[in-house]
Amino acid sequence: MGLLVVNTVHRDMTRWHSANAFLGEKSKYALLLVLLVSVFCASFWSAPVQAEDELNCVLCHKFRGLSRIDEEGNFRLFYINENLFMKGPHKRINCMDCHRDIEKIPHDPAKKVNCTTECHLLEPSGKKKFSHKPVAKILEKSVHGRFDEDGKPKEYQEDYPTCKSCHEQPLYRPLSFFKGVSSGVSRRGLGRCKTCHQTGDFAEDFYNHVTSRLQKTRESKEIVEICAKCHEDPAFQKRHGLDNVVASYKDTYHYKAIRFGSDRTADCVDCHIVYGESVHSVESMDSPTSATYKANIAQTCRNAECHHEAGEGIASYRVHVDYNNKEKNPMEYYMLKFFSGLMAAVLYFFIVVIFLELLRRLFPNFSFNSAERSGHAVTKPTTEGGE
Amino acid sequence: MLNLIKTVIHKLYILVLMAFTVWYGFFLYPVIFGHSADHSVEALVVESTERAGSFLDEAHLAEESMFDAALKEQGSTATTDLGYMVIEEQYVQGHFHHVGMKVESDDSNLCLRCHGAVPHDKAKSIRAFLNMHAFYVACETCHIQPKEDAEAWAFRWYDKAEGNIISNPPGLTSLDKSMYGNYGAKIAPGFLKSDGNFRFLNGAKERAFVAKYLKEKDVLSSTQQSKMKKIIHRNINDKPLLCDGCHTADKEKAYLPFVQLGYPNRRMHDLTSTEVVGMIEKYQEFYMPKFLLPGDGWHEETAEGEE
Repeated sequence: MGLLVVNTVHRDMTRWHSANAFLGEKSKYALLLVLLVSVFCASFWSAPVQAEDELNCVLCHKFRGLSRIDEEGNFRLFYINENLFMKGPHKRINCMDCHRDIEKIPHDPAKKVNCTTECHLLEPSGKKKFSHKPVAKILEKSVHGRFDEDGKPKEYQEDYPTCKSCHEQPLYRPLSFFKGVSSGVSRRGLGRCKTCHQTGDFAEDFYNHVTSRLQKTRESKEIVEICAKCHEDPAFQKRHGLDNVVASYKDTYHYKAIRFGSDRTADCVDCHIVYGESVHSVESMDSPTSATYKANIAQTCRNAECHHEAGEGIASYRVHVDYNNKEKNPMEYYMLKFFSGLMAAVLYFFIVVIFLELLRRLFPNFSFNSAERSGHAVTKPTTEGGE
Repeated sequence: MLNLIKTVIHKLYILVLMAFTVWYGFFLYPVIFGHSADHSVEALVVESTERAGSFLDEAHLAEESMFDAALKEQGSTATTDLGYMVIEEQYVQGHFHHVGMKVESDDSNLCLRCHGAVPHDKAKSIRAFLNMHAFYVACETCHIQPKEDAEAWAFRWYDKAEGNIISNPPGLTSLDKSMYGNYGAKIAPGFLKSDGNFRFLNGAKERAFVAKYLKEKDVLSSTQQSKMKKIIHRNINDKPLLCDGCHTADKEKAYLPFVQLGYPNRRMHDLTSTEVVGMIEKYQEFYMPKFLLPGDGWHEETAEGEE
């Protein structure tokens, strides 16, 4: 991260310059080291509730162009949008709580962040230092974990998701419950909290955190897009022997509604997570405890927020049907062919009829018969003795 | 006459309906048979292979795969709906923090045609800082300085889209930090012509020339190409402008005329403050003692970026 201690060092630098003349080279280095270490330690001991970049990393990281191309050819952007950073739960922690390997200013290339690191925040229920370690444990046990049941690494390790594969910096999605439910912070609701909880931004953070957690963190469409990042990749599907489940899901009514803006129908998470469990606990459909295990499907569909009055028959609804896979889904394959053919025959028949009708109206006197074209009346030859 | 007009209108009406009927026939085809598109893995792999150049082929170059991925990523954006606000931003693969904006590319700078928008890489300790400056400072600002006996350059902002001279961008005076350096414009050097009008060093004529060169260079022999490259780069200084050229405590000596370029006092103070100036001094002294030596990192930086 950026210039963590510049602000504080700034104060000390003036003194440092004046002291410079009296100190030898070694003493100079030692003094700077002491300053850096003391500021570094002070930042931890103070344990601020609200970070607000007190270490002034954004002195450099506020510039959008701070970037480089790394050795693997990836574009590395070091820009921090401070406005957005302050709209999420991470606003309460310092940059160095995550970027722990940064020890000097300016710093060397930072190592990858370990999300299971304990930060200075205390988890209120257990009064322990906060960490995402419990989430990592759940993920490791899920179908997305990197190790199999025997603890051996699964094949294609690079395909298994890390935190950043699905998560970018989290942002609050607060709700107001006054005069109905609406998005954003309710000043009236917050005002009640602030009556007692006046110190710092505690009330704001608590309000934002709780109301954000009372709803989905993401829109359904975003969730589908996140899963699709891997599951829509044909090379990925081939490596893991998976069907194109994203394409088949997008054929369903559930996705059609989401596509048109609804957030009330089922997305990937709704069906693949046991109701009430962590979204990180996706299991294989072959696992008896999975939400999509054959015996559990009806229960999954009938959760309190979806088809809670449906019968057992709802489990017969097949979501991921590849209509073009004759071997796997012969009934659906031939049904699609039949109805497509029927629809085409009916519609194109009438289109041709309409087109011919219009053609006649355009050329009302046209005829392939030359006599009719020239306008002469065609008289039937009369038989002898006739009128 | 009236009958003739009526007949013409009637015929036109029929023709329009016929055209609509034909269009409707084409429109219906994917509606009816769209589901028959093969979603099987094998079919998609074949499709992707044709589109991206067989990335599953082990013999396929990693560079090619990366190029294909880059092509696919072009212009990708991400949308985050917070309910009370929707964030539309540039998608940067693997980037955790929100960018919160779409970034305008510099389509007018002639150097970037070959060197790209993130050209600095050699000087390890400062490459990100240099690229940061390349976001709002044209290459020639630091890489083409006036000769010792020549008159100093004048500086103006140009808009990234067209390369036209513009007035000082309003973002300079914004208190919103996300606007810092993000002006949709860049500072570039130039000079005042005899008629008093300003002209950029790399103006419209130079841009047109480089565009022509890139379009037709394959006609030239490799020797001629080397010759042309030398000519195009002949004004580039061996040693570019260094950090302390602008970030100096003595504002009067700063290479860039911050006041004239529209920087408010507050921003100018930031750029020449002890925070920044002191940091640069420290940086040189403690962490990269050799980086300012001519012919080291800087020189490689310039050479490395060349086509």
